[in-house]
Amino acid sequence: MPTRRSNAPLSLVIGGAARASDGDLAAGLVAGEEWAISESWRRFAPMVLMTAERVLGSKSEAEDVAQEVFCRVFQRAKTLRRFESFRSFVYSFAVRLLRAELRRRKRRRWLSFFGASPPDAVDLRSADLESRDLLRRFKVLLDRLGPRDRLVFVLRSMDEMTVDEIAEAMNLSSSTVKRAMTHASDRLARWVDADPELAAMAKGRPWGS
Amino acid sequence: MGKLTPEADRPALDAVTELAREAVRPPTPEQIERGLRSLRARLAAADVRGRTRRQLWLGTAVVLALVAGLWAAPGLRSRWSGAQPAVALDRIEGGSLLDGGYLSESGHTGIRLFFNEGSSFALTPGARGRLRELSRDGARFGLEEGAASFQITPNAARRWSVEAGPFLVTVKGTVFKVSWDPASERFELVLRRGHVVVDGPVAGGGIPLRAGQRLVIVLRSAQILISEDAAADESAAAPAPATPPPPAASSPRRAATRAVAIASGPPAPGRASEPRRWSELLAAGRWDEILAEADRDGTDAVLKTAGSEDLLALADAARYRRRIELARAALLAQRRRFPGSPRALDALFLLGRVEELSAGGAARALAVYDDYLARAPQGAYAAEALGRKMILMNGLDGPAQARAVAGQYLLRFPGGSYAAAARALAHGP
Repeated sequence: MPTRRSNAPLSLVIGGAARASDGDLAAGLVAGEEWAISESWRRFAPMVLMTAERVLGSKSEAEDVAQEVFCRVFQRAKTLRRFESFRSFVYSFAVRLLRAELRRRKRRRWLSFFGASPPDAVDLRSADLESRDLLRRFKVLLDRLGPRDRLVFVLRSMDEMTVDEIAEAMNLSSSTVKRAMTHASDRLARWVDADPELAAMAKGRPWGS
Repeated sequence: MGKLTPEADRPALDAVTELAREAVRPPTPEQIERGLRSLRARLAAADVRGRTRRQLWLGTAVVLALVAGLWAAPGLRSRWSGAQPAVALDRIEGGSLLDGGYLSESGHTGIRLFFNEGSSFALTPGARGRLRELSRDGARFGLEEGAASFQITPNAARRWSVEAGPFLVTVKGTVFKVSWDPASERFELVLRRGHVVVDGPVAGGGIPLRAGQRLVIVLRSAQILISEDAAADESAAAPAPATPPPPAASSPRRAATRAVAIASGPPAPGRASEPRRWSELLAAGRWDEILAEADRDGTDAVLKTAGSEDLLALADAARYRRRIELARAALLAQRRRFPGSPRALDALFLLGRVEELSAGGAARALAVYDDYLARAPQGAYAAEALGRKMILMNGLDGPAQARAVAGQYLLRFPGGSYAAAARALAHGP
C-alpha cells in the first residue's frame, strides 16, 4: 500500500519526538503536526514554569503564564525565521509575558490603595522552616524592585542566563542589562544587610548541606 | 551560584539568592502532563473561536441579517442560538471578582457564582479560589484553600474543570463538593449527582467517581479512600465543613466505609471563627499589620477566636518580630484549640523554634523536639526537628552526645538540610 507523504519538512512519530531537534520541533509546529505541540510543551514547559515561578513567586501564577506563553508560541510559530532558535523564541515570549505580568502587578499594587488586593502568596510549603522564613523575607525585598530590574536579577542570578541572552530576550541593550543588574543587586544587597535577621539567617546557614 | 558581579562581595545576598533558586523544584511528570491537558483544552477552545471568527468574516452580511432578525424575534433567537450559548458569568453574590480571576469575599457568608446556562459555584466562608478561565465552553476554577460546592448543568459539549491543589476534577454535568487544605495536603470530593474524574498525584491515571461516592486523598501519607455513604448528599449541600480530618490510618483504595469526616481545616469550637486573611499579609511581609491588628483586637480575644490558619500566621509574624511571648501563646492556642489537626503538630515543632529564640530556652526546645519526634516520627518537620535536636545537643552536651543523633539523622535524611552538619559531627574528633 503506498504511503502518503506529508508536506511537512519533517515527520516524526510520537515515540521519536524526544529525539527531534529544536529546529525539527519548530518545523513540525509550522506544519501543524500534533506531536510537535506535545513535545514542545514537554521540552520547554519545565524551563518556562521554573523561570516564571522564580520571577512571580507563585506556582499557580507560573502555570497560568506558561499556558499563555505556549498558546502564543503556537499561534506565532509561523513567524519564526530560524527554526534552530526555537528555544530562544519560546524564552522571549516567556520573558515578555513575565515583564507584562510584573508591570500589571505593580499597577495593581497602586490600585490596591483603593480596593482589595488579590492574594499574592508564595508556595513555600516544600521548603523547610528556616528556608521558608528567609524566602518570605526575600520575596518582600524582590517586590520592592521595579519590573525590569527584578526580571533581570532573576534571569541573571537564578536562571544563570548570560547578559546577552537577557538583552535579546528583553529587547534591551547589553549595557542596559548590566546597569539593571548592578542596580538591582546593589539595592537588594543593601536591603538584605539592613535586615539584621535576614542577613544573620542568610550568613548563618553553615548547617545547610 | 557565582558572584553577582565579579567585584561584589555580598555573601548574604548570594546565599539567599541561591536559596531562592533552589526552592523552585522542576515540575513533576504528572504536573507536565496535567499542564499539557489544560493547554490542549485551551488550544481547542481557541481553535473553535478562530473558526468562528473566520466564518463570521466570510458571512458578515448573512450574520448581520441573522443577528438583526434574532434581536427582532426573541423566540427565534433562542431557538437558533440556544443550542449552545456561550458560557458567561451571570452574577456573583457575597463577593467580587478581582483582577486575575481572584475572588474576594465581601462578608463572611461565602461567595456564590452563577452562570448564564444554570451552573453555579458556592464557596464556603473563608475559602479561597480563582476563576482561572472562562471560555464559551465552560470554566476552569482553581480552589486554593477551603471548600466549594459545584452544580454543573449537564451538557456533553461543555468543558468544566476544578483544580484543587494538585488535583484536577474533570466535570460534565454534576453536583459535587470539593475541599482542599494545603496545610494538611488533604483533598476531598463528595459527589452528589453525575460523574467526575479526579486526576493528580497518587490518583494513578484518574479516579472515576459516581453519584454518592466520597473520595478522600491525603497526599502526605499517599492515602486514598473512596467511601459510599448516604451522608454524602447532605454533606455535599452543607455550606461549611465542621469536623476534623480522620486519623491517618492506612486504608485500602476503594474500601467502602460507613463514615468519613469532611474537613477543609479544623474550625474553632463553639463558634465560627472569622478569617482575617493574615496568611496573605504574612506572605506580603506585612507582619507589623498582623501584630497591630492583634493588639487592637486584644491578643487574648484573638487567641480565643482566630482560625487555625490565622493563629499560625500570627505566630510567624510574632516570631519574625521577636515577640516571643505572643508567638508562644499563639502556638499553644493552636495546639489547645485544634488538637489532632496537622497544624497542631506543626505548632509543636514551631514551639521548639520559639523556645530556641528565648533566653536559656535550649533545654526546653530540646524537650519540645523530642516530644514532636515521638508524636510525629514521619511528620512534616521530622527532619528539621532531628536536625535542631542534634544542634542543640552539640551545644548543651557536646559533640560526643550529639554524634549519636547525627548518625540517626544521616540514616533517615541523608540529603536533608542538616546532613552536612551531621557528617561533620559524625566524622569529627
